[in-house]
Amino acid sequence: MHVAGDAVLGENKKERLDSMKRNKPLALVAGAALLTLAACGGGSSDDDGSNDAGAEKTFGGQEGGSKDPERQGPAEEIADATAGGTITVYLPGDPGPDSLDPTGGWSVTGNSIQQALTSRSLTQYVRDEEGQPVLVPDLATDLGTPNEDYTEWTFTIREDATWEDGQPVTAEEVAFGICRSLDSEAFPSGPGTEYSKAFFAGAEDYEGPYTGKDPKCEAWDGIAVDGQDITISMAVPFPDMDYWGAFMAMGPAPLGNASKPPNYGNQPLANGPYKVESYKPNEELVLVKNDQWSADSDPGRHQYADEFVFKFNQDQAKVDEIMLSDNSDSQTAVSTALGSDKYTDANGQLGERLVQQTSQCVSTLTPDYTKITEIEVRKALAYAYPYEDVWIASGEVPGVTRVPANGVMPPGMAGKVDFQVDGEQITYDPEKSKELLAEAGYGDEPYEITMVVYEVDPLAVAAQDQITKGFEAGGFSVKVIPVQESPYNIWLDPDNKVNKTLNLRGVNWCSDWPAGSTMLPPLLKGGAVYNTAGFDEASVNDEMDRINTLPLDEQADAWGALDEKIMTEYFPIIPTAFRNDLFVFGTKIGNPTGDGSIGAPNYKDLFVIQ
Amino acid sequence: MSADTAGPETLGSLSDEPQQQDPNSQQAKEIAGKSPMRIALGRLAKDKIAVVCALVVLFFIICAVFAGPICALFGVDLVTPLASERVDGLNKGLPKPEMGPPNGPFTWDHPMGVAPRTGEDNLAYWLYGCRVSLLIATTATIFASIVGVVIGLLAGFLGGTVDKVLSFFIDMFLTIPFLLAALTMAPIINDRFNTADNYSTIQKVALVIVLSIFGWMGTARLIRGEVITLREREFVQAARVMGMPTSRILFKELLPNLAAPIIISVSLMLPTFVALEAGLAFLGIGVTDGISWGQTILKATNLTFFREYPQYLWQPLLGIVALVLSLNLLGDAVRDALDPKTRR
Amino acid sequence: MFAYVVKRLISGVLVLTLVSMGIFLLFWFGPSSPAQPICDRETSNRCTQEKLAVYEKTLGYNNPVYEEYGKFVKGVFVGRTLTIASNEYPCAAPCLGVSFRTKQPVKEELVSRIPATFSVAIGGAFLYLLFGIPIGVAAARRRGTVADKALVSSFLFISSIPYYLFALLTWLYLTITFEVPLFSDTGYFAITEYGPFKWFSGLFLAWVALGIFGCTQYTRFTRGAMVEALSEDYIRTAKAKGLPSRTIVYRHGLRAALVPVVTIFGIDFGTLLAGTIFTERIFEIQGIGWWSLEAVQGRDLPVVMATALFSAVVLIISNLLVDVIYSVLDPRVRLS
Repeated sequence: MHVAGDAVLGENKKERLDSMKRNKPLALVAGAALLTLAACGGGSSDDDGSNDAGAEKTFGGQEGGSKDPERQGPAEEIADATAGGTITVYLPGDPGPDSLDPTGGWSVTGNSIQQALTSRSLTQYVRDEEGQPVLVPDLATDLGTPNEDYTEWTFTIREDATWEDGQPVTAEEVAFGICRSLDSEAFPSGPGTEYSKAFFAGAEDYEGPYTGKDPKCEAWDGIAVDGQDITISMAVPFPDMDYWGAFMAMGPAPLGNASKPPNYGNQPLANGPYKVESYKPNEELVLVKNDQWSADSDPGRHQYADEFVFKFNQDQAKVDEIMLSDNSDSQTAVSTALGSDKYTDANGQLGERLVQQTSQCVSTLTPDYTKITEIEVRKALAYAYPYEDVWIASGEVPGVTRVPANGVMPPGMAGKVDFQVDGEQITYDPEKSKELLAEAGYGDEPYEITMVVYEVDPLAVAAQDQITKGFEAGGFSVKVIPVQESPYNIWLDPDNKVNKTLNLRGVNWCSDWPAGSTMLPPLLKGGAVYNTAGFDEASVNDEMDRINTLPLDEQADAWGALDEKIMTEYFPIIPTAFRNDLFVFGTKIGNPTGDGSIGAPNYKDLFVIQ
Repeated sequence: MSADTAGPETLGSLSDEPQQQDPNSQQAKEIAGKSPMRIALGRLAKDKIAVVCALVVLFFIICAVFAGPICALFGVDLVTPLASERVDGLNKGLPKPEMGPPNGPFTWDHPMGVAPRTGEDNLAYWLYGCRVSLLIATTATIFASIVGVVIGLLAGFLGGTVDKVLSFFIDMFLTIPFLLAALTMAPIINDRFNTADNYSTIQKVALVIVLSIFGWMGTARLIRGEVITLREREFVQAARVMGMPTSRILFKELLPNLAAPIIISVSLMLPTFVALEAGLAFLGIGVTDGISWGQTILKATNLTFFREYPQYLWQPLLGIVALVLSLNLLGDAVRDALDPKTRR
Repeated sequence: MFAYVVKRLISGVLVLTLVSMGIFLLFWFGPSSPAQPICDRETSNRCTQEKLAVYEKTLGYNNPVYEEYGKFVKGVFVGRTLTIASNEYPCAAPCLGVSFRTKQPVKEELVSRIPATFSVAIGGAFLYLLFGIPIGVAAARRRGTVADKALVSSFLFISSIPYYLFALLTWLYLTITFEVPLFSDTGYFAITEYGPFKWFSGLFLAWVALGIFGCTQYTRFTRGAMVEALSEDYIRTAKAKGLPSRTIVYRHGLRAALVPVVTIFGIDFGTLLAGTIFTERIFEIQGIGWWSLEAVQGRDLPVVMATALFSAVVLIISNLLVDVIYSVLDPRVRLS
């Protein structure tokens, strides 16, 4: 995954210099990634990686997550785990969060660290034996109780959870934390702007405790506290409230001025097994054991290592050298990325300590639904896209960091169906593309495609050259408009003069939780912000609304079925690839695994082998 | 880019030894019957280094002018192939063995190999990169020289307020950090022209303009100083007394006498602009369509490529170094030849 | 002289005003709104049109450009309070604003990056003066010998290579290919935090690259100036008086020859202090040059402004100092 700004510099050091730092948002792969957008394609099924020299990597099962409302603390011990030691985590090219305020956190980096180690919320994920994320209770005693139509959820807050200062975490503090998530001006990057604001009753008119000058959150009546019970009222049915509860934004905050932004973000009060020792934005975060945390109160977390040191903004090439050298520095270290040029070496040398983790992300091309109206043309584009060539040109490892995609929902998502639109995986096949164009009545002259390329990134430009080559072979003519700002800024601006001329755009999207509701509606519901295809079919919109009212256990399959239906009937979006991350673990790090719920190392279960 | 500094960060030396060069001094005139230019040429022809450098520069000029025919001769072109045809995606994106080094034996199909990741032919990109480099450097030199000469002439000859204002602007442009300005202006140019069909041409024109805007000050200063000494000389005074119009004095009387300083500033500017064009591309601005030595260097500094395929870095790098070096040495020889003080 | 300095200072302020106006206009009328980077950053790249509008409003992007420029200038002199979305950032004079990417006060970050850039500049300049001047003097004394010719032509050769390629090759070969022990981990490590050894080893290669390259040039300057000085009449007089050649060369010759060298060095050094983009970029030294490159790529208006003004101020002051020193060193020069 590359960031927008980095392209300007040499690849080996781009991350260092990169100004737009990688700060992957959960839902949307950030600017950089976008750029790669042009660069990432779907996969070709004939490339099954059989010529891969090193060990074959397989993903954890693809069936999707599950839930266990009964799970109670303490969390099951990890086999052979030992206590003590310091784990150093290198984050190449990743500036880390700007602020540690749990309410404002909405990035893979920040959330994966804080949710696993310092900041508890209503619910959380644990990793099961197969590597699948399981939703279990956290500060709540179960996964919450909805009413019949999901317009009211009640959570009972456990009594034995404490802050790092020894004070108990109260229901009022949890309610106040939830209330904070409604302040979209104080926390513009907060996920509350997307979820709390949209679903909670009365949230739209409430400006939040800070912007609304309501420090005790008295003016919002969407939440009620009764003893240890918290009841949240919804404006519209919100069946995914239990998933949303796993965001640290749905956790407690000290009342009053103690948690006033932006200062609270520098030293938030921890309630997880670790607390903040020191924090330098863009540089380093040191976490040490929180001795007030009790394992009995927490169904998911462990407290094995004495200390975690997160080093942000590291240089990819340097970190690769360290991790491959197996010296004393690297033995107790973890890296959250591996340079794709190092993959061959690392795969041979590291074996199990190189973990390939699906990032719950999909790269797509989005043909403008109002301009490219024939499904044949949209499919022709999918056949004319030279998947593997694009991946190579953009520096990805085919079949490893990018794998072929069949639909919008990524592997590991509940309800995902293993369908194929045309019976088998769509691969690069220019002849088939020409046939489809001829069928649609465009056989005589090339069909014109207009798209943008982020010209500051040589990799994006190289990838675009491949796309152009493939499209032209497939019977299209391509007009490429070079731009120097994030393509999203263009795609999302309806008044942009360049945007108006485009008929092919793209989005890279990652899920916020393993449910189709965080993939399909944001990308394909009429009027959704990131629906850059402009796809708008009443029947699909209605179906999305209907699924939201189904019983919880039926929803996952319904989303999977809808994914298949949209793709086979309309093919409004061309999924070019599912994306994978590579994590590297030192030889003395125990239990080297990834966290399937978020696309990060599984910090909760790591330990130092003593 | 300042005419007064020769520091490393200014990318090249726009100035030489701090000696006063005065090719029009009495000494030079006393050599009977030969114009200073003839003398200089004669000296140059005897300078072995100058001759070698001139030949190297000529080689690059031939490469640039005949890039197309040479490519045809070797059967290579700029066309982007499908990456998987020529490079191995599972082996770090390095070229397949049949494409030549580093993984295979030399092949005439791709005499300089192919680029990792994209499989584009290195020879074709090298030749066209040479063309881009020389084209941009030459045009920028012409424009910057014209601007510099005009401003230097006006400031030096008119003096007074005009001189003060122009000198102020010279100082101001010397104070603006060139790289920052160029980096800031690139996106504006992109935004204005990115939908145009001939965008890559416009981009090069813009680059020439940016280079010229920040490259004229050295010439202007040099010319201004020269004009200030010349304007008090007898033949100018005489022309004034005879009532010659200012423009005529400027262009008929002064300009011919400025040939030496102009040649000197051109000889300093050319290599600087060649280096600068590649330097900007290396920083990610300037030419972005891939046909530029600087951009190839940027791609080739990927550590894995550098370790396993150093030729990929060395090809454009040697191009720049050889061209800049011979232009610099040639310029040095020209300056020596024009300078009556040096006797070789 | 006092009047001259005042005059130069006034013209310097005028230059600063024009430069800052130019940058302001470039951004204000640039392709993307100046509010875009902060909106992208604060919303983790989920900057929708509505959110952008909020930032544009609080940053004053809807106001006329002269009004905002006025506010900026006022901030520099008396300080101001910046509002970004709903958060307020007090900013005392001289207020250069807060970074649109990191929201850190620009002034503090500028100050925190100065040590890195100054370390590079001072170390590099020290090396090239240390070697450049003595070698130049020696070459001038042995003018015309084989050693002199070999030295001059080899130095001419090195200094004709574009500096950034020279630095790039130094870095690639010394750290990657040969992995020079102790010095291959380049970068700036604060002496207070990591100790003098780490500081030294991190910067060493950058100094070497700057030093070698600068040395070749200063050798040529010094040699040229020295040759000229030694051919002056007063040197001949001194020789005729029978003064020892050591005294002639160092007391009389070098003193005169140093004047033009000092001039060039002053301006050179100013350029180095203003931020060495290529050196810092190649050797991963996070100083002013690095920061400015980052800021331009991130369209970070306040930081671009601050770095451009900083380098302009440094250049103006160093030019002025050079002129003053020149007049002190060379009594023939009168400042007016």
